[in-house]
This record gives sequence, structure tokens and C-alpha cells, in this order.
Amino acid sequence: MINDDPKAGDLVAIALRSFRESILPVIPADQRFTALMIANALGMAERELAAGGKAEAELAAAIGGLINAKGDLRALLPRLCTDIDVGRFDSAERQAALRAVLMDITRARLAVSNPKRLAAEAPKSETPKSETPGSGR
Amino acid sequence: MSGGDTGLTADRKAALESWLTGQAGAKSVTVTEEGRLSGGAISLNLAVTLDIDGGRLAGRHACVLRTGSASGVSASLGKVQEAAVLGAVFAAGATVPEPLFVGSDPAMLGAPFYIMRRAAGIAAGFRIVKSDAPQRELARELGRQLGLIHRVRPGTPGLEFLALPEPTAALQATADFRRWAGRYAVTDPVLTYGLRWLERNALPPGDLVLCHRDYRTGNYMVEDGRLSAIIDWEFAGWSDPMEDLGWFCAACWRFGRNDREAGGIADRADFYAGYEETAGRPVDPHAVAYWEAAACMRWAVIAIQQANRHISGTEPSLELALTGRMLPEIEMDLLLHLDAVAARGGFV
Repeated sequence: MINDDPKAGDLVAIALRSFRESILPVIPADQRFTALMIANALGMAERELAAGGKAEAELAAAIGGLINAKGDLRALLPRLCTDIDVGRFDSAERQAALRAVLMDITRARLAVSNPKRLAAEAPKSETPKSETPGSGR
Repeated sequence: MSGGDTGLTADRKAALESWLTGQAGAKSVTVTEEGRLSGGAISLNLAVTLDIDGGRLAGRHACVLRTGSASGVSASLGKVQEAAVLGAVFAAGATVPEPLFVGSDPAMLGAPFYIMRRAAGIAAGFRIVKSDAPQRELARELGRQLGLIHRVRPGTPGLEFLALPEPTAALQATADFRRWAGRYAVTDPVLTYGLRWLERNALPPGDLVLCHRDYRTGNYMVEDGRLSAIIDWEFAGWSDPMEDLGWFCAACWRFGRNDREAGGIADRADFYAGYEETAGRPVDPHAVAYWEAAACMRWAVIAIQQANRHISGTEPSLELALTGRMLPEIEMDLLLHLDAVAARGGFV
């Protein structure tokens, strides 16, 4: 409730830090894979709690621009799916515009699930040639 | 090392030994357990040594006992069927572990199983791709092996249980993906787009061959730099031969070595050249590009199914749960691939 501090995100963060600093170094080799998975899961939970849906408004605006609609991400995603399904993005130009927004959505999800992979992709998206209509907000 | 929750109980071991004695026409068979082998999230592999006294297989044999887990994914074969596929490709001359015994009665060990010879070497993808120079001969040999596997055609006795794709390999695959994706097909726009792309660009019907359908780095074993066995046959089925080449070369199976497009070990040219040596057909780069997109989609829907095994409560597992969160990276691979093919042209 109102005074239940620290919050979930903080608890997960400090649990992960303690796990990494105190437990991981003394884990026997045959348990290391599991231990790394635990650290990975906690890290993901920590990032998800910290992000708190911050990127959602931007992504919703990008999708809204694409399909001429307003609403939150949860409402717009199925509508985008329907538009794709009925062929509104079949032309090469529409596909390119769609892919740019899908790339933004995927980057936002990668920021939570696998920031290392996101970092590996970053140089590509920063080359001057690449157009990113979805992020031109 | 033996025992634990994954090993054989004393009762089951005794039942197995008695059954094996009959199967091998031996005086006696002793099974020694040597622990669980890593072997994917779907199957359970136990290292066992069989000491067979008398009969057609007299002697000592290092083997693997392979059985299913509590829940599988839709695409996977049962263990008896998997053993039949393995037998067919062994007969075709491919470098695979010879299946020795097939136990179809689930009562004996709790689930159907088979026992095959144990190959030496390592399979872990991240270790295989670790080499300064590209492993050109290994890639070429994997191409040759795939060509041999693809000589197994519909009509092969013993493989009648494998369904033919309808109406075509590409459209059957896409329909399977759509079904397996479930609600994700209509709520995850990357998957929706991928499915639409695969349907609009579906390849015309062509040759149908036995495809491994998980032919990639991580599913073959290497000893001293040389191929020792192609493993994990549970997804095998009739399909377009180019499906296996696309899967092998897809970005998701390069284990970080994106500069070596054939499974993170070498260039495509080496792999393709080996394939053309034995397959009796040329590699079709357009079809391979199509199947690379299909590979991303297939891996995405398998990841969804793996995650569902955890989410549904059927099989609580951290590994399965984390597999579900691999979707964004798989989808990134798909988008990058579709970007690349759009730039090259040839697809709508």
C-alpha cells in the first residue's frame, strides 16, 4: 500500500545485485546455467518495472499515425493486426512504413528483454541512410 | 551421477534389462546409467552403457536412452516415430546415431523411448562457432549430409505416419504457424506481418523430401573439428528441401557469428557446394530466402509454445519462461531479414 517501501522494482533490483555479488561467484559449475537464468529473469523484471510503460504512448502515437486511429497501445495493436491481415499494408511503400514502426516496437521490447542485443543493433539504426519514420516524433 | 529425479528407478531398470534381453536375443543385458545429457527442452536423454551377453549385439555399447518430456510442442514427433525417421536416414547413409532398440510401450519407462548409439563430441552452438578461422570443411560436410538426408522421399517404407503438406509445403507451414501462434497471430503485429508476407510470397509446389526441420548449429555433434552425428530429429517431416537450408542459414542460429551466414561456422558457399554434391539438385537462393523468413516465424511460434508450457502450469520452468521472452530478438531477426529481401527485390 501507500507506505510499502521499497517498491517491487527496488526489491527486485537489490535482490539481483545481492545475487550477482554474493551468490553467483560461489555457485558450483553444474548450477551456473540455472544461476545465470535467474539473474537474467530478475534483470528483465527489473527493467520492465523501471520502464513502467513509458515507451507505450510514443509507440501508440506511431501506430495511430500508421492506421489513422487514436487510442492506447492495447487497443491499437489488434487494429493494426487487422489492417495488415486485410491487405492495407501490402504495397512496397506501405510495407516499408510498417516495418519501420514494427522495428520501433521491437526495439522497445528488446530494451527490456535483451538490451545487449539492442545495443548490437543500434549502429544500424543510426546510419544516416536509414529512415525511421516511426521515431520521427 | 545416476539416479535423481531424471534417472531410472530400480524397478524400471530391471524391466528395461529384461525387455532388452529379449529384444537382443541375449543371455542377459546390464544397463549402467551415466547421467542425464543436455538435449533440448523437449526430450530427456540419459547416457547409458549396455553390457550385452550373447545375441546379435553381444558386447559393450555406449548409448543414449531418449524419451519424451511431460509436454511437447505441436510440431514434435513421438519417440517411436522419431526412431523410425532416424532409422531411415541411417539407412540412407547419413552420419546419425544408429537406433538400436525402440520401446513403444509407455508402461515400461513411463513414456515411449528408444536407445541409440552415443556419438562423441560437443553440440553446444556457442562452443562450435568459437574458432578463429571459418570451418569450411565442416560446413561443406553438413551440406553433403543434408543432401543425403534429402534423398529420403515420400513413399519410404516405415515413414507412412509422416503427413504430406497440403496444399504446398509453404502454405502448410504458414497455416501451421498461424494455428500455433494462436492469439499472438492477431495481437502481435510483427507476427501478423510475417504471416501475411509468407502467404503472399508462398513458393509454388516443388520437390518434397524428408526435412530434418531443426538442422542447425547446436543440433549436430563435432569431435576434433569433424562432424560426428546429426541429432534431434523430433521435428522431421516432408517438405521443400530448401526449408532445411533456410533454417541452417537463418540469423537466429549463428550464435553471434553473423559474419558466417552458414550456421555461424562458414560462408553459405561452402555449405551450398556440399549440398549440391550429394543432393542432385541445385540450391535455389530465392527459396532459401523465403524459408529464412519462415525460419524466424517458426522459431517465434515454437518459443510461444515453449513459454505456454510454463505459463499454463503444465511444466513450470525458468528456461521455458525465458524462451517466451526471446520473441523480440526473433522478431528483430525477421524484420531485418524482410528489410534485406525488400532491398534485394524478388518478393512482393
